[in-house]
Amino acid sequence: MFGVGLLKGLKFTLKNLTTEKPTTNYPDEPIKLPDRFRGVHKFYPEKCIVCNQCANICPTQCISLTGKKHPDPNVKKKIIDTYDINFELCILCDLCTEVCPTEAIVMTNNFELAAYSRDELFKDLQWLNENDENVRKENKP
Amino acid sequence: MDLKLEDIKDISPQELEEVKRNVILTTFETLKGWARSNSLWPLTFGLACCAIEMMSASNTHFDLERFGTFYRNSPRQSDLMIVSGTVTKKMAPIVRRLYDQMAEPKWVIAMGSCAVAGGPYVNSYSVVKGVDQIIPVDVYIPGCPPNPAALIYGINKLKEKIRYEAKTGKKVR
Repeated sequence: MFGVGLLKGLKFTLKNLTTEKPTTNYPDEPIKLPDRFRGVHKFYPEKCIVCNQCANICPTQCISLTGKKHPDPNVKKKIIDTYDINFELCILCDLCTEVCPTEAIVMTNNFELAAYSRDELFKDLQWLNENDENVRKENKP
Repeated sequence: MDLKLEDIKDISPQELEEVKRNVILTTFETLKGWARSNSLWPLTFGLACCAIEMMSASNTHFDLERFGTFYRNSPRQSDLMIVSGTVTKKMAPIVRRLYDQMAEPKWVIAMGSCAVAGGPYVNSYSVVKGVDQIIPVDVYIPGCPPNPAALIYGINKLKEKIRYEAKTGKKVR
């Protein structure tokens, strides 16, 4: 019959006019991210035991760290001295957080990392320590 | 920018005239920067998996066209190049040629670890370690791949840069 297809199409269109819009209002309001989202790292210097496992497992060798002796001569363990992530190379594979025995390094939900120069992407210990927003609650396997 | 012409001593009338003309042109530059930043047209140019995120950014959920960013199919019509993905040494001359074909003014965004520094292929024999070795890059977006919101953030950062450079005449580094 003439016009049935048109009516069917219009019915679909009118039905979808009232549904909720799927577009996020991103720069004005933050977007919802899943708990397993992998953003830039957060580092806890006091938890780190300088075991070098994160630097060894990193597929792009973007983590470099050095330790120093504990100031108290009776304590044998080392403490962290420098901890750098070359974020221009980091591929956010999550292996460093998986392998860390004390969960000293965890992922956050921060993804707004665009920079005007490559040097700004080099994250040092202080930056990674101060990056304490939207930190992942627990590391899931 | 506050420029008090009365405070400037030891200046010839010709120079004063030139300064006045420059002030008017500066305002015009600001207007041009505003216009350019609100209609950034990127080149439809994808190299690897980051291109999927770039396409996703212009789809329904993130809708890049809200910001006046339409993809154009010809380098002659576009003023932004989003280098999304691994630039191999075989592809590098073509990237350079596409950049040269774009009309001035033009900007470049390096999207993803591969375009920023080589990413997981940093030790490879066939990959350019960072697209800034062949073309000048304005904004670097790290991530593997950066999600569409990160790309939108990068584009907004580029818009800020365009407006700032037009307003002050200084280069952002």
